[in-house]
Amino acid sequence: MTLSTMLSTMGAGMLRTCAIFFLTILFSLPLGMVVMFLRQSRFGIVRVITKIYIAIMRGTPLMLQLLMWYFGPYYLFGMNIRGYRLPAIIIGFSMNYAAYFAEIYRGGFETIPKGQYEAAEVLGYSGPQTFFKIILPQVIKAILPSVTNEVITLVKDTSLAFTLAYNEMFSIAKQIAASQTSFMPFVIAGVFYFIANYAVAFGMERIEKALDYYR
Amino acid sequence: MKKKLAILLAMVMIPASLAACGSSGSDAPAYRFLEEDLGTESYAIGFRLGDEELAETVSGAVQALVLDGTYASIGEKYPDIKDFLCLTAEGIDEASLPEKGSGDPEYVFKHGFDLDYPPYSYLQDDGSVGGFDVELAQAVCEYMGWGYEAVPFNWDAKDMELNAGSCDCIWSGFTKEGREDLYTWGITYSDNTQGILVAGDSDIKTLADLAGKVVGVQTATSAYDMLEGDRKDLADTFGELKVYETYTIAYNDLKAGAIDAIAIDLTAGSYLIAGDNQ
Repeated sequence: MTLSTMLSTMGAGMLRTCAIFFLTILFSLPLGMVVMFLRQSRFGIVRVITKIYIAIMRGTPLMLQLLMWYFGPYYLFGMNIRGYRLPAIIIGFSMNYAAYFAEIYRGGFETIPKGQYEAAEVLGYSGPQTFFKIILPQVIKAILPSVTNEVITLVKDTSLAFTLAYNEMFSIAKQIAASQTSFMPFVIAGVFYFIANYAVAFGMERIEKALDYYR
Repeated sequence: MKKKLAILLAMVMIPASLAACGSSGSDAPAYRFLEEDLGTESYAIGFRLGDEELAETVSGAVQALVLDGTYASIGEKYPDIKDFLCLTAEGIDEASLPEKGSGDPEYVFKHGFDLDYPPYSYLQDDGSVGGFDVELAQAVCEYMGWGYEAVPFNWDAKDMELNAGSCDCIWSGFTKEGREDLYTWGITYSDNTQGILVAGDSDIKTLADLAGKVVGVQTATSAYDMLEGDRKDLADTFGELKVYETYTIAYNDLKAGAIDAIAIDLTAGSYLIAGDNQ
């Protein structure tokens, strides 16, 4: 196999890797917000359920969760799981990362002193106004470094999709390594992950700078 | 910015330099099998329990392909497998076989296999899916008039994939021994021998020499099952039995001298060492 065939074969996998990455970001960031609110709900039962959810998502390996999401519907309900591979992967990743994001968000909101809410109320801000105009901008600034960490981890975690035989880049790297008895595909995979994460770190740094308007 | 560029450049250069090293040109083979082997096994097609009808049809079609020479001509393309193909025209009753093109044209045969398992099923040099088992399965579908769908799966999850119906069979250098009751078995189309692979200049000559040595094996393979089952006595003499996710990594460890030997079947092993023994 020539280097260019290797690269183009792995390139097809890179697109799938990117699909997992972007879809997971798209769903898990907002879902994390929902989970955070449920975690602080007025109703005790909702709080407990959310806590159990977070404990399970953080306490079990993502690989195992992916297997559960994919094969679960068949083993529990006898459903036909044809064509369900990618959806299962996206659900698995999004549910898992939402749990982490929820805790990061919660940490961010807890840095805001109660006095700010009181001051906003005195100044006549409504609830949503206080949240979107005063609290949220500060929280986003505070949590960005932690979110960057998670996003970088996600880029590397996409390789776990091989568990469900979704042919993303790292699965293909392993297949080429087996068929060519060569170490080269792993090196290419490493370069790809590095470049992807460099881009993520670079982008997040830009956003951080843009939000740094009080300096 | 210059620094960043330098780092990027270095990352690109590493693969280029790695590609350069590798081949060695001496008379003695770089890697060899021990003359003693661990045992012989048969490769067959595994279907869901109770799927007798499909198992029978596919087995019949394979036999028909033996009679028309397709089986042998596919084998010619895979020199590592050729000697292990066990089916011959002898004893095949032509009248009992399914007729050519008698299958339901709407039916799509979902062939489940491991894409990490050359030369049975693996990525070809042009990046397409191939291997002996893949070609034979495609020939079966062509013979029956079925559609063919490749379902590459993760070997550890093969039973879940089969039970959940994402594939119709496991056909990927799949060992029958020890699994007789777990699947409805189709025809045995190849046999294979489990052996021990060592470096050409290694002082290991017999199985007894493996005492105290580090031996590598791939998880969920028949070599692994053998060393955990029938040949546990032998495995107990090893210094350590190292279990790998794929043989590729184990082979790199052997090359690097981190382990002393690999327990592997002869066809997959021959494929692995072919590049280095040229």
